[in-house]
Amino acid sequence: MDQDRGNWYLLTALILGLTLGLIYTWVISPVSQVDTHPSSLRVDYKDIYRSLISRAYQANNNLPRAKARLDLMDDDEPAMALAAQAQRFLAEGGDNEMAIILANLSADLQSAESAKNTPIPPTTGIDSTGTGPETTEDKEENNQETTSSPPREPVSTSTPVPTESPPFILQDSSPICDPTLGESLIQVVATNGAGDGIPGVEIQVSLGTEPKETFFTGLKPELGLGYADFSAEPGLTYQLEIPESGLIVSEIDIPACQNESEDSYWGSWEIYITHPN
Amino acid sequence: MSRWTLFSLVLLLGLGLGLLYGWVINPVSYQDTTLDSLRIDFKTDYTLMVAEVYHQTNDLDWAMNRLTLLRGKTPLNIIDEALKFAAQAEYTLPDMFLLRDLHNALKETD
Repeated sequence: MDQDRGNWYLLTALILGLTLGLIYTWVISPVSQVDTHPSSLRVDYKDIYRSLISRAYQANNNLPRAKARLDLMDDDEPAMALAAQAQRFLAEGGDNEMAIILANLSADLQSAESAKNTPIPPTTGIDSTGTGPETTEDKEENNQETTSSPPREPVSTSTPVPTESPPFILQDSSPICDPTLGESLIQVVATNGAGDGIPGVEIQVSLGTEPKETFFTGLKPELGLGYADFSAEPGLTYQLEIPESGLIVSEIDIPACQNESEDSYWGSWEIYITHPN
Repeated sequence: MSRWTLFSLVLLLGLGLGLLYGWVINPVSYQDTTLDSLRIDFKTDYTLMVAEVYHQTNDLDWAMNRLTLLRGKTPLNIIDEALKFAAQAEYTLPDMFLLRDLHNALKETD
């Protein structure tokens, strides 16, 4: 080679070597895709994982275990993630049962969270940790835990039996004018005798002879566990039914409203249902 | 040392640095992974969840369907591996029983 070319060839060699190295490590032979964490799962697999957690919770009624499992997903707010998944599931035409299962776990997580603030008398003699699946990372962080230790509390294997509840009664059904809502909604709030919201209540809405659409309370926990809404179209008359109670609310018409500057807008409709006791 | 030798040495140095960077310092970060790539402890817990649901529903088709998502092995092999790991990790007896119940049910259909 010509000695007058200087040392640029060395830089060329270095860049070429680096490039080949990076192509090999990032494209040809990247770090093997094994031993991954549930938080890195693709969105659809995360949905499957959450669904399975919810079904397992329905089977064993072990909330600490379900919570520990959900924590593996690294969702910012697990209860909201479950509720959002339930809504997505319904919107995509999934079966109602799965949506209810997801909503129930979401609601129970919310309830447990709010109950944390209530003082609980100390228990004795029973280890009620009921922790969920620990990981080797946990072990590294805390040597008191064993590697990947399974939940330490025996799972409840009894079949959950739905609680017998009295039928819902209609408390109020009326048009409302609220410009802050931004759209016309049929809003439903289901409460028990103590005024607490009840999630998972199935509501069917129909329009004349058209097929019924189903929605559930508790899918928007940020608005209350007993809250549900349905986007309604002005000028149509809806009928709403609570199948479990045989309660029917008819003649639901979106009202025409006026704001302070006398501009017209479409209002909403609110319905309150409750258990009588 | 000839320029070609020097060139080759620096090329190898660059290659080494590239491998170090791509495999150790900044390896490919996996998002959007699938269930079959889960670590064995998570796979075992996944299998345990299926066993918990199976215990309540006795729906073997559903259980097999869920286990099949952990691709690459038969449901029976998957639960075999889960049982082995559960024993090593000292899962509680009730959990072991749940896994064994599902294992036995799958074996009967095998």
